[in-house]
Amino acid sequence: MNTMANISGNTLNKDLRKKIVDMVMAGEDGHIPSAYSILDIITLLYRDVLNFDAKNPEWKDRDYFILSKGHGCLALYVNLHRHGFITDCDIDMFCKQGGILGEHPDRTKVPGVEASTGSLGHGLSFAVGIALGLKIQAQKNRMFVLLGDGECHEGTVWEAANVARNRNLGNLCAIVDWNQSAMQLMPYDDMPKKWEAFGWDVQTVDGHNEKEMLDAIHQIRFKIDGIPSVIVAKTIKGKGIPLIEGHGIWHHRIPNTQEYQQIMEALS
Amino acid sequence: MTITTRQQFADTMLAIGQENLKLVVMVGDIGHGMLKPFAAACPGRYYNIGILEPTMISMGAGLAASGLCPVIHTIAPFMIERAFEQIKLDFCYHKLPGNIVTVGSAFDYSNLGCTHHCYGDFALLKTLQRTQICFAASAVEFDQLFRQSYQNDFLTIYRVAGQSHCFDFAAKDIIFGKAIKVIDGSDVTIVATGPHLRTALNACEHLSVDGVKGEVIYVHTIRPLDTELIRASVAKTRKVVVIEEHMRSGGLSDDVLRASYDIPGMKFHSVSIPDTFVTGYGTYEQLSASCGLTTEAVIDSIKKWQ
Repeated sequence: MNTMANISGNTLNKDLRKKIVDMVMAGEDGHIPSAYSILDIITLLYRDVLNFDAKNPEWKDRDYFILSKGHGCLALYVNLHRHGFITDCDIDMFCKQGGILGEHPDRTKVPGVEASTGSLGHGLSFAVGIALGLKIQAQKNRMFVLLGDGECHEGTVWEAANVARNRNLGNLCAIVDWNQSAMQLMPYDDMPKKWEAFGWDVQTVDGHNEKEMLDAIHQIRFKIDGIPSVIVAKTIKGKGIPLIEGHGIWHHRIPNTQEYQQIMEALS
Repeated sequence: MTITTRQQFADTMLAIGQENLKLVVMVGDIGHGMLKPFAAACPGRYYNIGILEPTMISMGAGLAASGLCPVIHTIAPFMIERAFEQIKLDFCYHKLPGNIVTVGSAFDYSNLGCTHHCYGDFALLKTLQRTQICFAASAVEFDQLFRQSYQNDFLTIYRVAGQSHCFDFAAKDIIFGKAIKVIDGSDVTIVATGPHLRTALNACEHLSVDGVKGEVIYVHTIRPLDTELIRASVAKTRKVVVIEEHMRSGGLSDDVLRASYDIPGMKFHSVSIPDTFVTGYGTYEQLSASCGLTTEAVIDSIKKWQ
């Protein structure tokens, strides 16, 4: 585990970014830019924030993490692998028959995955149910859920946001991957104001800056009867590789040999 | 005193809620009055979530994932049809257990029109793995079926009928997953579910005047269906009529046919809602008649075979 001393600014988890590209090349499928957008957030959560036991994924005192934008799952997989939930073999079998890792995380197959996501707009509502369940049972586990900003087009996100505030689910922290996917279709997209309007405690940070992210998480009190929190994380889709950054053909594209070399050089 | 099936829902929640501290009831802004005793007796375990059925279903699955036993209640179309994907993924695909209790069976809300009707629910829910479906048309049925099934590993949907069939079943006769032979006969099998048991019984009585001995089988558990009892009856009578408040496609009728199609010489007829919207208004009885769910329809279908 890294110590606080390691945390300063943009660290760009190059080893994990390489692993993601290698998985996509081997599996011949995957969403690289979506994963790169959230990789630094998920890596920080698993390294420095979440309480878990990889040997006992259903440990009753664990913190819950749900990746609601399931198509970014490669960022989750490489962290589950790093922390011992899944094996080298599981990684090698990404998108292969007989494997447990597909293009969306599956609760029924993958240790440590709390929700099978992929159909956008389910994760927050499911997380609100878990947070309410924990509150009813007076358990102190924390509930984290990571949403895409495009996913926030879904009405269920705001149904759940409304309930979470009105039920005072202070044990719930949503993180929005604000990489401006949503703005491609709906340019009026003041994400922090939307959450403020629903009564949540809102912090806006650079989602690739570990210190800012960690400071924001440390600001949250996670009171079992309090105001839910959201961290609006400003991110860059495809972060770290100029070739694939932004919105376009790379959303669901497999690199060719030349592109693969370019990506690896950029990460070296 | 006879109570409505819906009141029994509230009474059963109160009784079980005091015994089982994991039972949590969520409603979609209906039923607050009758559930007040539950809310008072089970503090922190009653939630009027609001008018947001998809999220309420997902939340129910989340409650189950946290180790609780959710009961989710509102009007049928808004849960089964609007929130179908949440049922499919958050409960069924996740293999999470839970309970959905619907009111507004078929066209019970007759004057509220098509927006409040739901007569394709059996068909929809049968496409999902890990679902169980009950149709309770009397208080004792709801109470017994719920007690026997609410804690198992499945998602169980209880369709609560607004009308009763008025047949007085003993509690001991209500067994989840088992149909009931209400009348023993040898000439024709009439399979009924919901309030239209009384239509089946009326038809049977009329047929007896002409010497036709009808066997009436009542089905309160649509899934898992008691195919053994149904098949044994049809093997005996070689003729079966099914009456149900469900669209012709995908309802109980289809399952009865599937369970008995290979019996040599068998004849089959479905008295059910035509595969179209029920657009009229009036009473429940009037809408039943407009859909052809009548004693006469059952009798006519049988007489054609004589």
